[in-house]
Amino acid sequence: MPPELRRLFVILAVVVMGIAVVWATRFDSMPPADFSIQNGTDPKTLDPHRATGQPESRILFGMFSGLLQMLPDGDPDPVSGLQPMSPQPAVAKSYEVSDDKLTYTFHLRDDAVWSDGVPITSEDFVWSWTRMLHPATACEYNFQLFSVPFAEQFSSGVVNVGDRCEVELFDRPNPDGTTEADTGELNIQNFPRGTMLYGTLREIRKPPEPELAEDVTEDDREEAMLNWQESWVFVLDIAEEDENGDIDWDGPTTRQTFTADMDSPVADEDTQRVHNVLVAFSKLGGMETPDEHTFVVNLEDPLPYFPSLAAYYPLFPVPRHVIEKHGAPMWTKAENIVSNGPYVVGLRRLRDRVRLVKNPRWFGADSVAIETIDALSTEGQNTALNMYETGQIDWVTDPPTALLETLKQRDDFYAAPMLSVYFFRINTTRKPLDDPRIRRALSMAIDRQQIVDQVAKAGQVPAYALVPPGIVGYEPPPGFKPDVDAAKQLLADAGYPGGRGIPKITLLYNTSEGHRAIAEVVQQQLQNNLNVKLELQNMEWGSFLDKTNQIDYDIARAGWIADYADPNTFLDLWLTDGPQNSTGWSSAEFDQLLKEAAAESDAEKRMQLLSQAEAIWIDEMPVIPLYFYVGINMVKPRIKGFFPSPQDLHPLHLMSIDDGSDQQTDAEVAGKPNGRDLFIADRLLSAPAPLSKLPSIIRPTAPSQLPNEKVTAR
Amino acid sequence: MSESPSPSLPSRQTEAPDEAALSRILQESREIRGVSLWQDAWRRLRRNRAAMASLVFLVILMLAAIFTPLLPLQSPADKDLNNRRFLPPNFDSVVMGSREGLKFEDGRLTAQLAKYQASVEQERSEILSIDDPVERAEKLDAFEKRASVEHPFNQLWNQLGPVAFTMCRIRVAIFGDWAVPSLFGTDKLGRDLLSRVFWGSRVSLVVGIVATIVSLIIGVSYGAIAGYLGGTVDAIMMRIVDMLYSIPFIFVVIFLVTFLGEDSVKKILDQYGIEQITIFYIIIGAIYWLTMSRVVRGQVLSLRHEQFVEAARTVGASPGRIIFRHVVPNTLGVVIVYLTLTIPSVMLFEAFLSFLGLGVSPPDVSLGLLLNDGVEALSIVKLFWWVVVFPGAALALTLFALNFLGDGLRDALDPKMKNRS
Amino acid sequence: MTDLFSYAIRRFGWMLLTVWAVYTVSFVLMRAVPGNPFSSERTVPPAIERQLRARYNLDAPPIEQYTDYLVGIVTRGDLGVSIRLEDYTVNEVLAEGFPVSASLAILALVFALTLGVTAGVVSAVYRGSAGDLALMGTAVLGIAIPNFVLASLAILLFVFIIPIFPAAGWGTLRQVALPALCLGAPVAAYIARLTRAGMLEVLGREHVRTAFAKGLPKSTVILKHVLPGALLPVVSYLGPATASVLTGSLVLEKIFALPGIGSHFIYAATQRDYTLAMGMVLTYTVLLFVMNSLVDLSYAVIDPRVKLQ
Repeated sequence: MPPELRRLFVILAVVVMGIAVVWATRFDSMPPADFSIQNGTDPKTLDPHRATGQPESRILFGMFSGLLQMLPDGDPDPVSGLQPMSPQPAVAKSYEVSDDKLTYTFHLRDDAVWSDGVPITSEDFVWSWTRMLHPATACEYNFQLFSVPFAEQFSSGVVNVGDRCEVELFDRPNPDGTTEADTGELNIQNFPRGTMLYGTLREIRKPPEPELAEDVTEDDREEAMLNWQESWVFVLDIAEEDENGDIDWDGPTTRQTFTADMDSPVADEDTQRVHNVLVAFSKLGGMETPDEHTFVVNLEDPLPYFPSLAAYYPLFPVPRHVIEKHGAPMWTKAENIVSNGPYVVGLRRLRDRVRLVKNPRWFGADSVAIETIDALSTEGQNTALNMYETGQIDWVTDPPTALLETLKQRDDFYAAPMLSVYFFRINTTRKPLDDPRIRRALSMAIDRQQIVDQVAKAGQVPAYALVPPGIVGYEPPPGFKPDVDAAKQLLADAGYPGGRGIPKITLLYNTSEGHRAIAEVVQQQLQNNLNVKLELQNMEWGSFLDKTNQIDYDIARAGWIADYADPNTFLDLWLTDGPQNSTGWSSAEFDQLLKEAAAESDAEKRMQLLSQAEAIWIDEMPVIPLYFYVGINMVKPRIKGFFPSPQDLHPLHLMSIDDGSDQQTDAEVAGKPNGRDLFIADRLLSAPAPLSKLPSIIRPTAPSQLPNEKVTAR
Repeated sequence: MSESPSPSLPSRQTEAPDEAALSRILQESREIRGVSLWQDAWRRLRRNRAAMASLVFLVILMLAAIFTPLLPLQSPADKDLNNRRFLPPNFDSVVMGSREGLKFEDGRLTAQLAKYQASVEQERSEILSIDDPVERAEKLDAFEKRASVEHPFNQLWNQLGPVAFTMCRIRVAIFGDWAVPSLFGTDKLGRDLLSRVFWGSRVSLVVGIVATIVSLIIGVSYGAIAGYLGGTVDAIMMRIVDMLYSIPFIFVVIFLVTFLGEDSVKKILDQYGIEQITIFYIIIGAIYWLTMSRVVRGQVLSLRHEQFVEAARTVGASPGRIIFRHVVPNTLGVVIVYLTLTIPSVMLFEAFLSFLGLGVSPPDVSLGLLLNDGVEALSIVKLFWWVVVFPGAALALTLFALNFLGDGLRDALDPKMKNRS
Repeated sequence: MTDLFSYAIRRFGWMLLTVWAVYTVSFVLMRAVPGNPFSSERTVPPAIERQLRARYNLDAPPIEQYTDYLVGIVTRGDLGVSIRLEDYTVNEVLAEGFPVSASLAILALVFALTLGVTAGVVSAVYRGSAGDLALMGTAVLGIAIPNFVLASLAILLFVFIIPIFPAAGWGTLRQVALPALCLGAPVAAYIARLTRAGMLEVLGREHVRTAFAKGLPKSTVILKHVLPGALLPVVSYLGPATASVLTGSLVLEKIFALPGIGSHFIYAATQRDYTLAMGMVLTYTVLLFVMNSLVDLSYAVIDPRVKLQ
């Protein structure tokens, strides 16, 4: 290579480097928001029907308004500083409950509109709830509506001969204007519907069930069964639909056949291809819309906590017109999404932030004080604290565990009990843990006070039962007592005196500093107290869940946060077929008590039944409860309107910024319709309960490491 | 494609062309007291003070790591949560076994040990007095198993391997209840940081050395074969190395670590007596062989036409024998230099994996794990400086020493330096 | 010129082969790891899980998944939909994160080159002086401290004690400066050592002695006659340096809360986001391969003794 060329090359390299540097140092600068939150991690999705975690919920509660919303109610608890919250009107300006507690009539506001100006009607709720329950949406909270007739059947996709069914033909529209019927390509969407037909199911034609060899794997068997089910042909008498969408079930019908698999051996020539045949949930009276602004829900069970559910985001309405236009998941893009809450999404950048901007069309927009909010996806505990200290973040949701003792002393640190519990699942199908005496022994030998004081550290409530304290009207059964001697005795009774001969037990936890510390301490306590050897095994979240779900572990860590303020949310986990049971534990008596409680309309009696069920649970101890969590937050003093609450809910629209110098803001705030709430909050801030007296609370996990952790349980 | 510019080593005349001449040459060589490359290098290395200091340090470190259980340190696993969390470095004396939770006799390990021994002896003699030999053997077996479970060491050290267990016994026999005070302070769960640094260095060094040896074996064999065979084989083998260079191995490691953590996989490994951590070393080693193979190949390329190789070929030695018996030993100089550079990178990689939560799992400790814990407690709000400074210093010193030793070795083994220093 | 061209073509061929091999291995590995992407604490009924699987083509037989996905990548450059971040396609994730990671890497590399070469030259010229010792001592320290420790210390020092940089985040030059410095530090240290060694070697060569003997000024000799030769090892180190910067960015993106692609990978792998993980691996592979090829190419151009193969 000639030297000139070489020189040219060097010059070229330098120029390229220069250009690269210039490119790398160009930034589109973006002014910081008025208020920044450490949101922990990226929201998985902004679709209320698909979201599950706390990072998602913080944003969704800001973006959407449900029929009702959780708002402060009454004075804060003088000891814990906890602000009680109750479901209060939102999109529904008022509601009535029938005497039998089975019918709820919601009256919607006239001025409730989507952020693009389209009015919100009762039909929006019917559509949204149907979408939420539809099997293809796979909403993890679908069970919240299961007390509406046919909801569970609809959601699980079960149909029986004689049921009134809906049929979705294989002609979903594609974005380019064609339909599936034209292209033959499956258009997979959560819930965009092709042509709908309604009718009564008369017959299911099934091809012969496939013969499977004995040795096929579980997965293959499942696969084969699903294939077989797909080839079923459904024979329906299709009824007529009038222009209002009502179905004349008893009127004239035409017999038609449908199948999902056109190659089915039992299909005829005129069998039509469908997505699925489901029970016609939306047409069977569970939900009624007498007019545009009235929405009636009929329940099967008198759920006392139904209003709380209506204030929870899975039951929030979603904008049908936008979803049908863009399809999922495109409708959740910042440029497409339309919402109906105090804020709308202005910008979404992965691993960085979701920017919320005030929604001027929200019915309560006048009282919203903060114009822009950034929900930052900051995960590192220390990173977030550093940003808080330097003023880049105003609200830290996950302070570093190592520093809690120091942080606890500060005025901007809030810790309050939360309806959630940290526990260890026990595999009750494995020896020797199938013996309740051993389970109790292990449980009684753990020094929870030490864990709470020295590891979780803010000194939190040790759990000797399942349901956290603080649920109004619930009288918990007496729990067990930590007692090492009694534990030794139990172990001896079970045939392992002094821990002799007990095989090594493995404790499984998902990778995280906090869980590791607790596991190590429990390991030492059991070793020292009972001479029981615990082996620690950590796994990434995905494998960890898999192990748990398959009941392939000895002891596994878990956590549960209340979905609603009722003991049922903790107890129904342990039903024999409960999807979250995962311990192999089953008690007919326990199941029966829960069932009776669900049907009981007398609140007091219902609570008693639940309490009895919990007593059985404590006696059998399929799970070792460790402690009840606390919600911990650090909020800059300039932010007003923040208060600790039992479910760690903090409505963004109640917050405001006090810059100190700007007196006008205060005056403005005081004059706003929401002044009452703000006043409560202000008082709470100005005269906080002495923090040393607070039941201290700590999240011993480093949930930042695992987005899903935050989600359903910690 | 570039050749790695590496110093060519003088070839040692290890084989002679014909049998008759051989004895004569050998005779002559015995008479001339030549200075071998190694003696020469050693002479020069001794003059390099930094390298010698590093060598001494590393030898001491190795010994300390191997014999850690013998040292009068506190237990790295025993957590005194109630009294000793986040203690700054101090000279307060410590008695082994004094933690309340242990419920040791007199709060002393030796007292508990004596009590335990007494009860064990008594029971054993009872069993030994049984007449029926079958029953006796059976009972004795069950008893021994149980006795080992109940040994007080388990309460204090959690899980000890057989070697470490024996060493701990000797240690208690020598030092009794005395232990070095927490000179490095304690961590968030009240464990002594000094002993954790020692036990952590032990694991980190083992990871570093074992992984490096694995990389050595793969890299040297691969490089030597490619270099010796040359031609198309060489070209293809080196292209494969180029390909592997472009693979983001960190990602593969994450997959593999997850995969190996799986129960079913673990069970299979257990059948062959392989521990998960062993696999971990091997994976890391399997990543670091690439550069080694390039370096060795470069060396071998320049060696393969040397006379002694030709000689061996003439005598009829097989290619395998030539490569591993004659060629590879001549590349040792470069390989050793490269080794001292690989160990630090492996140790850093271990720290990196610990940061991501993929490193060794408790009760094992490694320097990376300690540093990760330390960094978590490093904040402007409250500075627990000792939890990061001491493990950091331990790691940095080790890597420092390895680097200096590597530099020194390179200079010492480079013949061009011969007449300069 | 023609050999350059044919070299590029051949390299491209090898790259395709590499990418294909990586694709295959990753595909097998990901499917071999137990657990499925829809693990969640609330269990999904089988029929629904099947619908979810259908959405990501996970219900097809493995061979078909393998080919479908490959065809999608080759013909449309489509890496599919992220399983965990369901509002995003993998291409979108990459498009959002890549510029961030790239900026960070470029700044870190440039910083490392500038500082490393300068330090190396200075300490070689003043060999044996206190300055040399100090510089090389710092360099070894840079190699001996893991970058997450370095970053944490740097935050204490430059954010709180001497408040010149913001704690974290992305969007201004000041925000990116500190992570880039931390990321570049170990590379700078390595380059400094390489430069020094190279300089010392070339300084002892005859042509340099001749140049000095001719009475040329010291700076001219060093810049014109010593440096070009001394930098050869540095150029060949740029390939591994890129790899180390990319790996290091996983850590720094986490500590400094930067929205780059590094942090996505750990999640993708541990949470079974097959498509995202695959996208990441392939991107990094292509990146590393291109970088390595460029380095080899530059090496061949700069060093007259080396021929392109």
